[in-house]
Amino acid sequence: MSARAGCDCLFLKVLLVLLIFPPGMISAKKIMPERVPALLESVTISGSSISDQQGNFVGVTIPLRRVGRLFLLEGTINNISGNFILDTGASGLVLNKTYFRNSIPVDDEEGGGVTGATNSVARINVKRLLVSDLLYSNIPADVTSLGHLENRRGVKILGLFGMSLLKNVEIVIDVRNNELQIYSLDKRGNRVSSASPADKFDIIQKVEEFHHVIFVKASIGGKILDFCLDTGAESNVLSTDAPKNALSKVTITRRSNLQGVGEDRGEVLFGTLNEFLMGNHQILNMETIICSLAAMAQKYEYPIDGMLGYDFFVKGKVHINLVKKEMSICLKEEDKP
Amino acid sequence: MRNCFAWISVFILLFSTVDSQAQFDPKTVCRFENGRLVFKLDKRWTASQRKQIADAYDLDSVLMAWAMNGNPKITQNGIIWTTRKLDADHIELSKDNNQSSGKEVDIGKIMLVDDQWIKLAAVEELESVSYGVNRLTRNTVINLSQNRVRIFLPGYNTVKKIFISGSFNDWSTIGNPLQKCDSGWTTTLTLIPGKYAYKFITDGKWTNDPYNKLREDDDNGGFNNLFFCYNYKFVLNGYPQARKVVVTGSFNEWNESELRMIRFHGSWILPLYLREGTHAYKFIVDDTWITDPANKITRPDGTGHFNSFMGMGDTLFFRLKGYLNAKTVVVAGNFNVWNTGELFMLKTADGWQLPYVLAAGNYEYKFVVDGGWITDPGNPYSTGSGPSANSFLTVKPNYTFRLEQHSDASNVFLTGSFNGWSPNGYRMIKKDGTWLFPLYLKPGKYTYKFIVDKKWILDPSNELWEDNEYGTGNSVLWIEP
Repeated sequence: MSARAGCDCLFLKVLLVLLIFPPGMISAKKIMPERVPALLESVTISGSSISDQQGNFVGVTIPLRRVGRLFLLEGTINNISGNFILDTGASGLVLNKTYFRNSIPVDDEEGGGVTGATNSVARINVKRLLVSDLLYSNIPADVTSLGHLENRRGVKILGLFGMSLLKNVEIVIDVRNNELQIYSLDKRGNRVSSASPADKFDIIQKVEEFHHVIFVKASIGGKILDFCLDTGAESNVLSTDAPKNALSKVTITRRSNLQGVGEDRGEVLFGTLNEFLMGNHQILNMETIICSLAAMAQKYEYPIDGMLGYDFFVKGKVHINLVKKEMSICLKEEDKP
Repeated sequence: MRNCFAWISVFILLFSTVDSQAQFDPKTVCRFENGRLVFKLDKRWTASQRKQIADAYDLDSVLMAWAMNGNPKITQNGIIWTTRKLDADHIELSKDNNQSSGKEVDIGKIMLVDDQWIKLAAVEELESVSYGVNRLTRNTVINLSQNRVRIFLPGYNTVKKIFISGSFNDWSTIGNPLQKCDSGWTTTLTLIPGKYAYKFITDGKWTNDPYNKLREDDDNGGFNNLFFCYNYKFVLNGYPQARKVVVTGSFNEWNESELRMIRFHGSWILPLYLREGTHAYKFIVDDTWITDPANKITRPDGTGHFNSFMGMGDTLFFRLKGYLNAKTVVVAGNFNVWNTGELFMLKTADGWQLPYVLAAGNYEYKFVVDGGWITDPGNPYSTGSGPSANSFLTVKPNYTFRLEQHSDASNVFLTGSFNGWSPNGYRMIKKDGTWLFPLYLKPGKYTYKFIVDKKWILDPSNELWEDNEYGTGNSVLWIEP
């Protein structure tokens, strides 16, 4: 009778990727769902505002907590306090059913009640999402079980802070200082004002958005691969279906046969990516898991060679600007060649 | 000539060691090549080296043996392996990568394995310590009475918000704001005595306490500051002429210089944190060891001298009525690794008793009466059933599970993540129609259920529950720090 340790957010994302919704940003853009679901009054994520020299608001700084290899933002929902996982692999705002079960319309929950579905997804509406001084209005949120994440890491997870909330802003994930910065952008994707000196980037790389997932190209052993950029992935992942040349460049240090779905046993390997290049820059010491991503690729209807997760984001300070479709990185000295 | 042979032997030994090390580099054993997963095996590996490879790569020892014996093709668990002899010492064992491709594995299981590989603790806990004294260059942490600690951060006049985040509030980034005062920022925390790690958050930025010398690695290239919430003060009255007084004891392995006492109004004092339990100690006054003149409890140290003894925490009494004809009655439990030769009870007018100090927690125990094990007839709480039943004791319970329904049930057990989901669980007792079970639970998440006459049910009074693999749900309880 152990608590469910079932599917991880990685697979949750597969489910959620089909649920497409843009965010309403500061301008209180209204999104009308097909039917009016139950309403959650207020979601708040705490941080501090960033101002320019004239005192104009330019963005927010949110302290990041790291638990295991998850990046957490602390917040409250209707007076329940807990954490949100910063998860660019999730399509938008996702809430943990444990705490918001009563907000789900009765006929929305598959199987309805205790004996029902184990990982159903219901949709509700959140009236206000306040990220420090950034206000999102009328945000659709998916409600599903995230208990397995809580049980593995021992922290209260209220939900996932996902992609659609990050589309019209620039985010800066500064792991060394455990900070997330979110900057407001103009229509061209430029910051509305420069509050701090610009970083000197080692890498500037184009990114693409598809099904609310960010894709970025990188190469291993000269082969160009498509990676999902996923702050919620606790490890980098390289697909066992990646090109042969790329796989041959991995130093494999561990392997395990795990019970898979049904009778099958699946294989997972652990190693270090050699000759990993983004743009023209090599990034050293990129640890990775190697396992099958076939199910995920099938859901996305897009070939996925791998995922860049925690082990990638700890390599430096990462800026993601989806208006400009650009990712810029200041690498830590020890991970430069 | 004998020396010459000896040097040759040493040279051969050194050479063979270097050669052996050159042969064994686990990182070169496994690789992908042309769509195949390939293992390069070496017949010269020792048994322990083979085991190391088998463990690292989850390779069956039988499969490795068959490969090394030259079997060209091996089928195991539906996987076809082929072997290729490279030279007299090396065999390549390989399989087509497509055989594993597409087989879904639960990512949760992968992360559990990955956690083990990178030695990441699933749930991080602060290391428990026996004692501690703060080391500050300015009074940024001030221990007040009644377990209150005042935090003060000087300066930062231009920032808008400051929080303190630490192990005391599960590193909440918003839970404990500081208030601005004339010379800085301050707040007062009420804590359980112990060791705490912390940082400040100044306008969203993690900030160290510059005036605190106690620190530990934060696993991010920086550090967390540490402080202790005190619960005890050593006092030695008199000795105004002494130059130096040190307190030493079992809690700091009798270190003779570490804990220097402070001269205070004609006495010597040292406030500190001490872990609950029993401690032996002495004072060292200008290199002379003395027992505590204010403490009558002394016990021999085994070398003809005496130590002072003190107990931190509440003293509880194990009591057993009757059995007056017994020769010995012993308490044994998980708190003393079920040792039956240690805690002998003392005979009283109507039975047996033993005073004992236990820290807050949950304990199982039994009495051993002349060699026969019995549960405590005076304690209604128990765990397990039949001969494996033990009496159950909770010291300083902080949560009581309650089931107000099912008052007509015969047996109600509590089971959950706190007791490994034991089906015999903790046997609840009925008081005024309500089933109860008190527990001491550390801060964190717990999942649980009640078993009412063998039927597993959710807690009807708790609206928090989560899905489980059986589709029946588990109740969820958070104990806040």
